[in-house]
Amino acid sequence: MAFSAMKEKYSSQVHTVVLGATKEEGGTRDYTITVGGEGALPFLHFEGEVPHRPVVALEVWDVVPEWHESLAPYFGDVYNDPAAWAKKCVMEYNADLVVLRLKGADPDVADASPEDCAKVVKDVLAAVGCPLIVLGCGNPEKDSKVLPAVAEATSGEKLLIGVADQENYKSITAACIVHNHNIIAGSPIDINICKQLNILITEMNLPADRIVIDPTTAALGYGLEYGYSIMERARIGALQGDKMLAMPIICNVGHEVWRSKEANASSEDYPAWGDQANRSILWEATTAAALLQAGANILIMRHPKALALVKQNIEELMVPTSFDD
Amino acid sequence: MALTGLEIFKQLPKTNCKDCGHPTCLAFAMALASGKTSLDKCPHISEEAKETLGAASAPPIALVKVGTGDSVVELGDETELFRHDKRFYHPTAIAVLVEDTENIADRVAEINDLNFDRVGLHYEIDMVALQCVSGNVDTFKAAAEQVAANTNKAMVLICEDVAVMEAAATAVADRKPLLYAATNDNYEAMTALAQKLECPLAVKGNGLDNLAELVDKITKLGYKELVLDSGNRETSQVLADLTQIRRLAVRKRFRTFGYPAMTFTSKDDPHEEVVQASVYVAKYAGLVVVKASKKEEILPLLTWRQNLYTDPQKPIQVEAKAVAIGDVTPDSPVYITTNFSLTYYIVEGEVESSKIPAYIVPVNTDGISVLTAWAAGKLTGEAIAKALEENDMESKVNHKTLVLPGYVAVLSGSTEEATGWKVLVGPREAAGITKFARENFA
Amino acid sequence: MDKVTVLFTPDNVAVQVEPGTSLLQAAGLAGISLVSSCGGDGTCGRCLVKVEDGHVRVAETGNLSKKAKQSGLVLACQSFVESNVVIGIPSMSRLTEHQVLLDENQLMEEDIGTDEGFFFRPLCRVVELTLSPPTLAENVADWERLQTALRNVIDCSDIRISLPVLRRLPELLRTDDWRVTVIVAQMNDCAEVVDIAAGHVQKELNLYGLAIDIGTTTVAINLIDLKSGLPVGQKGSYNRQASFGDDVISRIIHASEASGGLPELQSAVISTINDLVAELLQLSNIDAHDVRMVTVAGNTTMTHLFLGLSPKYIRLEPYIPLAASTPAVRASELGLNINPAAYVVCFPSVASYVGGDIVAGTLVTNLAQEERIILLIDIGTNGEMVLGNKDWLVTAACSAGPAFEGGGITFGMRAMKGAIDKIKVDPATFDVQVSTVGRCKAQGICGSGLINCLATLRAVGIIDRTGKLQTDLSTPRLRQGDDGWEFVLVYGNDTAHGRDIVITEHDIKNLMRAKAAVYAGIRSMLQAVQLTEDMIDCVLIAGGFGNCLNIRDAITIGLLPDLPTEKYRFIGNSSLKGARLALISQQAWQEAQLLGSKMTYLELSAGNEFMDEFMSALFLPHTDMTRFPSVTNLK
Ligand code: SF4
Repeated sequence: MAFSAMKEKYSSQVHTVVLGATKEEGGTRDYTITVGGEGALPFLHFEGEVPHRPVVALEVWDVVPEWHESLAPYFGDVYNDPAAWAKKCVMEYNADLVVLRLKGADPDVADASPEDCAKVVKDVLAAVGCPLIVLGCGNPEKDSKVLPAVAEATSGEKLLIGVADQENYKSITAACIVHNHNIIAGSPIDINICKQLNILITEMNLPADRIVIDPTTAALGYGLEYGYSIMERARIGALQGDKMLAMPIICNVGHEVWRSKEANASSEDYPAWGDQANRSILWEATTAAALLQAGANILIMRHPKALALVKQNIEELMVPTSFDD
Repeated sequence: MALTGLEIFKQLPKTNCKDCGHPTCLAFAMALASGKTSLDKCPHISEEAKETLGAASAPPIALVKVGTGDSVVELGDETELFRHDKRFYHPTAIAVLVEDTENIADRVAEINDLNFDRVGLHYEIDMVALQCVSGNVDTFKAAAEQVAANTNKAMVLICEDVAVMEAAATAVADRKPLLYAATNDNYEAMTALAQKLECPLAVKGNGLDNLAELVDKITKLGYKELVLDSGNRETSQVLADLTQIRRLAVRKRFRTFGYPAMTFTSKDDPHEEVVQASVYVAKYAGLVVVKASKKEEILPLLTWRQNLYTDPQKPIQVEAKAVAIGDVTPDSPVYITTNFSLTYYIVEGEVESSKIPAYIVPVNTDGISVLTAWAAGKLTGEAIAKALEENDMESKVNHKTLVLPGYVAVLSGSTEEATGWKVLVGPREAAGITKFARENFA
Repeated sequence: MDKVTVLFTPDNVAVQVEPGTSLLQAAGLAGISLVSSCGGDGTCGRCLVKVEDGHVRVAETGNLSKKAKQSGLVLACQSFVESNVVIGIPSMSRLTEHQVLLDENQLMEEDIGTDEGFFFRPLCRVVELTLSPPTLAENVADWERLQTALRNVIDCSDIRISLPVLRRLPELLRTDDWRVTVIVAQMNDCAEVVDIAAGHVQKELNLYGLAIDIGTTTVAINLIDLKSGLPVGQKGSYNRQASFGDDVISRIIHASEASGGLPELQSAVISTINDLVAELLQLSNIDAHDVRMVTVAGNTTMTHLFLGLSPKYIRLEPYIPLAASTPAVRASELGLNINPAAYVVCFPSVASYVGGDIVAGTLVTNLAQEERIILLIDIGTNGEMVLGNKDWLVTAACSAGPAFEGGGITFGMRAMKGAIDKIKVDPATFDVQVSTVGRCKAQGICGSGLINCLATLRAVGIIDRTGKLQTDLSTPRLRQGDDGWEFVLVYGNDTAHGRDIVITEHDIKNLMRAKAAVYAGIRSMLQAVQLTEDMIDCVLIAGGFGNCLNIRDAITIGLLPDLPTEKYRFIGNSSLKGARLALISQQAWQEAQLLGSKMTYLELSAGNEFMDEFMSALFLPHTDMTRFPSVTNLK
């Protein structure tokens, strides 16, 4: 041998988290999805196991979103029907799972009541067989009312519920413990706060394998590298045995990307940036591809074509590699 | 393995004579360990120490230059596996592939046009990769000349037939193109050619093991201006190969792989290609050759590269520009903070959740937080005055009252003096903003 | 069994106790507070008392020095009463307000190194000389004659004299047959005859020196008899500059931005010193004229202000002091009310935020002679630290802020009478019991009390690991105050001032930041030299605050690394001790000059490693709990 491959010996691996519960397990899902478990840096099959491929989810809102017109051809017909929308994501666009964002709960949007929100969640659950991620509206006060209500109404479904932050983690964690759900622990691009929140949540006795972390990631061109580095550090930490950084990572790709100018600016206004439709898809896909290299386990996408590109990329990256010793 | 500061220190004279420009030998040793100085700066070092330290402090990956003048592309000379450990230095070069049978002038014009301006930065494609598909000496040579005539960009010449390569390479040798590639079959002649023309040479292996053998053979021939290609093209294998090359060079100081690495995208769909290339940009490619050449395809790739190669040691800053939160009116309050992004975003979040529209004016403090900036004399009455003026706040609002962070209440006097505005001392912690805003502005 | 009597001297207080009671407990019953930073574990070696009559059972001698044992000293916490005894309490073992400023007692004499390595040879001393009288054949002039004689005694070729003294020389030489006594100041490679008396009158001549520690908050002075090297008296008080701001930054701003700010600050510190010196001299009945040498140790800014040098650029990037080492000056130039010709020398600084006080501390602890790796920390506002051994020394400042000195804390105060130094909280009812310095009504909380508070509040769950008050607990002690949420430690009817003593969430945040800065500083320094915590052999804690600190508490909150408590030692005001050592040993003074240039300063603000460490230390005990196994294992 002219060279001998260098394989890191890691002492630990990323926790696995099971999303969804089938009938036998106390829920109603057709199947469950397991994320995490990797014992190597992203896709380095030659030195450790990557037992579960990263998964991609599409976003569904409980209210009609004010999204860019280039998304309307894909979802316009179902914007006002979350259940149908979710179904379309799974059946037509091959999303691994669905994210329901309860935007309508926001007092500034529709101020939907916790009960109304719970109902939408149940409707979506009834429409699809995949595991479900439920996100609050982003108003911490309201979310700490809505999310526990959702948790209760869907007891046993093993939803992935979020986002819990340092301010409101207690009520959401308590609800997840009682009703057997998983939680998303969100931190503001800060590995220490990320870890601290994990400690606080596990100290409330929610097992570490029911936590997924959202380290907050920006879109390509808007500080993507900060989140990228934090994720890399978290993954290295996890592999080196830091249990409080070893949670699977979820990234809110679509949401961030579609706030960027590059995704939205029209081809006419910005001819030097090329065609808007393709540009936005690639902006989203490239952001996701970068985050996959940092260790993302769940990617929340918005554009079906971006989702397809990312799925393809994941498939290629999951091809095993090895070096002889 | 790299030596630690203390290990280097043990080999130094320990006289603290300061001739190296550092206050102590230990300071010099630590600077050397982190690559901030070079061994020759200490005139008193013993021959013996020079030898041991020289080997250890040599860069793990050679710097290879392709092209000339302003368009020279520097590859390699990286020291890290992860950008957060220090930083990445030489951004992955992106070359767009052109075949020698195409209309060269048109294609090159299209590539020249791949330059972008966004957020105050300018990006462009670095190189043109010309591939010989004709198999014809004259066609390839003419195409190379045409590329050279139509762009200043650095070039990659792709052809494994040495005779064909020789004609084209000789014709544009003054442009120092990267010759692609020396292989098992042609390496002697190709190396001789590169050596003769003093052009950098790509080495294409058949997997890493073969690549290592080939590199050793070529370096034995006395040539070291190399760029490495494992020859694999499947995404996960290329990722593995690039990772091994970088790791062995940086962590094990494996000299054979101490050169920049390159690869090609293999996808036909340009969208898939861009996604594939983003993987290689993230993980250690010094050069990626792509076929995609539309603006909307190249812009995301170049943006990702720019993001990845920023210096993570620099404090994260936001633009020192006034930001309107919510539906501001001329009556809206004006909050002062610094342009340290963490500070800024916390303030922004709190102002947002106060539900009272307001302006936030981040003062340029080189990205440091309020108290530190005050301590270092970067957040002063004058600095605030300058920020108000540059953002033309006087015309944006119809009042002259600003909210000063509670921690720097001591600046009230000097701020009122320098700005002519009235100071309202805000809460010390951003968390108090909502309460403060409701009490003062509701 | 019958009770036995313990009589404490010099207080003359007797108490009746059960046999088997420890002397520490007995003293407590007698209303005498002893210093005991380990809380009676026998590890700190501070509760020293002397058995003057009778017998006690000594369980442990701890790390008591041989000298101490020979002189009959025992550790009060480890000694148990068996029969009637008389116990003498040395003043050093008493917890009094003096302790804040001067805790001479921390170090046994052998620790300060005068008898290991450094010769006793004060910077100013008295020498008796007998000159050979001149003759026609041997007609060297008077001054040169004196120089020759002096050269035989002192090891120095460059000997100078001032004009007024020179004028008096011929008569003095001839008064007692060419026998004279001279007072020589000698520093580095230069000596000066500062006074001469006729005859051999060393015994009658008085010669004193001052060792001064100028802290940002306090000034401490030792008056030393330079003939014997022994301290005559010591005094301390607040630095009068405090009225211009609590921290060095505010002082720098005042000095560089207010008109007349610099002279104002200089005269504030000079008058602080003058008043202390006047008191000292009066107490010991010493003539100001006999004080002829002063050594000063202070942080870089304090040294600048003392000398009237502008500290302006210390604060501004790239943080450059005006001078690292400063020239010797005359007392008259500074307005010190001692012999006007007395020399005043300041310890050199290393960098803007690592000053002469740290150099003095490094000197006195012999750090630069050690094989072992030593960490010296001054847990004050600037949070300076030194790490190293005989081969290398690195130093840094982490700017911890004044929280541990009580600054920026609602009821913060220094460790004086009435300061809460320990609390106990009932985990069920959240009722609080406090102990105070001097066992009197509570007035506020001192640094060690604050650290204990943080540890205790966390242990009973009143704050979470981020330092947030858990407002959902049901206790009236948790309430909304003017400054947000707060927790009542002592209600007004039990305090000295009648107000409720509270700790606010804001106070806790400040403490968290201070402790995080110190720990982050230690980590960053270790990382710079690529060492790990467990490679530190010994941690020396300096500073007025340091001596009352409970190490366990400090580790529990993640202020100090989780090392065995035996590795920690308190060295008290090492800056003052260093100043004293240099005053009485030329060799030590020279070593101090070398030390200044040998220390490698690490600028923590460069790069974001410190910031990163700081953020991860903003948690109790730390975001990386594996670094505090002894704390987390308690759970
Ligand atoms: S020049 Fe050499 S000997 Fe002198 S201080 Fe620098 S490293 Fe030390």
